[in-house]
Amino acid sequence: MHAQSPGRFVVTRIRDGAGILLLVTVVIFLLGYGLGDPATLMSPVDATPEQIENLRRLLGLDRPLYVQFIDYFGHLLRGDFGESLWQYRPALPIVLEALPFTLLLTATALVLAGLLGGINGTLAGFWAGSRFDRATNFLTVAAVSVPSFWVGLILIAIAAVRIQLFPTSGFTGWQSLVLPAVTLAVVHGGRIHLLVRSATFEEMTKPYAMVARSKGLPDRLILWKHVLRNTSVTVATTIGWEYVRMLGGAAFAVEVVFAWPGVGQLMINAANRHDFPVLQCAVIVAGAFVVATNALVDIGYRLMDARLRVA
Amino acid sequence: MLDARLGRIEDVEEARALARQGTLSRAGDLFWPAVIVALVLLALTGDALAPYSPTAQDVGARLLPPFATSGRGFHLLGTDPLGRDLLSTMIAGTRLSLFIGATATFIGLVIGVGLGMAAGYYGGAVDRLVMRLAEAQTAMPMFLVAILFLVVLGPSVFNVIVLLPALVWPAFARLVRAETLRLRETLYVEAAVATGCTGPQILWAHILPNVAPRVAVLTVIEVGHVMLAEAGLSFLGIGVQPPDVTWGLLIARGRPYLAVAWWLVTMPGVLLGLAVLAFNMLARRFEVASGSAA
Repeated sequence: MHAQSPGRFVVTRIRDGAGILLLVTVVIFLLGYGLGDPATLMSPVDATPEQIENLRRLLGLDRPLYVQFIDYFGHLLRGDFGESLWQYRPALPIVLEALPFTLLLTATALVLAGLLGGINGTLAGFWAGSRFDRATNFLTVAAVSVPSFWVGLILIAIAAVRIQLFPTSGFTGWQSLVLPAVTLAVVHGGRIHLLVRSATFEEMTKPYAMVARSKGLPDRLILWKHVLRNTSVTVATTIGWEYVRMLGGAAFAVEVVFAWPGVGQLMINAANRHDFPVLQCAVIVAGAFVVATNALVDIGYRLMDARLRVA
Repeated sequence: MLDARLGRIEDVEEARALARQGTLSRAGDLFWPAVIVALVLLALTGDALAPYSPTAQDVGARLLPPFATSGRGFHLLGTDPLGRDLLSTMIAGTRLSLFIGATATFIGLVIGVGLGMAAGYYGGAVDRLVMRLAEAQTAMPMFLVAILFLVVLGPSVFNVIVLLPALVWPAFARLVRAETLRLRETLYVEAAVATGCTGPQILWAHILPNVAPRVAVLTVIEVGHVMLAEAGLSFLGIGVQPPDVTWGLLIARGRPYLAVAWWLVTMPGVLLGLAVLAFNMLARRFEVASGSAA
């Protein structure tokens, strides 16, 4: 795989990403139209059997599955995800209105998590076995062992309800961003910490680092001039992949906890209201974002890797 | 090798001490396995150990804080809005939380180990298919697909157990495939081929026992992941449904009372975190002992 030229890698990776996205839409279609009964799903919870039967004929759900898929996919390509059964307007704009909030939250959280995990992880790996290393190690393993939504609830209980420092729900300004972003940063910063620590630790066991240490170079010099140069790509990539993980799940539960008006909150509301078009659209839009970010990180890693090799 | 990996003198000495005494000698090493054993015992014998019935309501004893006493007696962790004893409901939740974690991980393990061995041993088209599938699965935003899946099929314990293995099998498949590729070249597998053993025989009798230790370590890690995923789904209302109870569901149930009864959210989360932490610490201990990670 590494014999590929960077250009070809980019093309292959984009093609793979598109393939995965296509697979996601097929899975979503099969889930909705093959396994489930969309007429029931799209009906209000209290609909009568006759109303559901009418809707089935109206939506053309009595046609063969492959015909429905072609139809469905054709609409997707034109950006038509159907109409919200709750708000009576197209699903796509509803999702696109929520997306910036999710991006704002996750980007802020990622910066915090990257700083927290990147710096502490590097120091912990550099001084492996030290008291700092042991303390942060246990704290981070603990941080990745608790669900992020629970961390959010605890923060609400402490920071907002007790000392009333920050708003706990909705979006009313930058203060609203603090608690959800910190919540996400705790768990994801912990994961970044563990990965960065082990990368730095591995670097420190290499002969050049041992030599640098044994000939008495000051720690700061070893860290900046030698170790960081070799771990920086790994650290950057780790942070990128963590963003993919965050977007792929944890962020949505945290949004629900803080009533943050993002895609996750929208999805859960749509799920509870049986608003299938919006749910479907949200999954595809968020999924496209996850797949695209994943591809970008992979490509970035490959390009940085190649440049380092030439230098 | 060992000395080269460890940067500091006290670490080398610690490692030597560990090597001298065997790896499970220190009291600290037994702590986390003990936590897991305790939780499993709690799950198996919960009804007998719980101070009260997990469903017994008592409106006179609503929202009592930890260490409170009601007409019925002492409530170590307090009570919920219907006067149910929190400790008792948490013990009741232990069973399903651990059961889902263990069952879903085991199903994922069977699928992943089977496909991984087949991919590594037979190579070629089988290998490409399995690895592509694992790759697509990893790159797919599974949590989103999970939400849709559970909304369409309806949230239930059964559907959660069907869904969660999808999250963990690729990790098993990748690990086992790599190990199988290595083992395939060993002399004893070659000897087995020479004496006329069939592929399945070799996989069962020679490959499987040799991948088992590393699979065991991965299992310990993945049980924790699965339990967190289940808690997340149940918290969002698309996983386990009442009257069934898991820790994640208890957190969701306590959420509306966060401002007046902090213990309802805090305690189940602490127990869940403790369980996952125990699995994570155990896995790290294995890794350190086998020298595969720092």
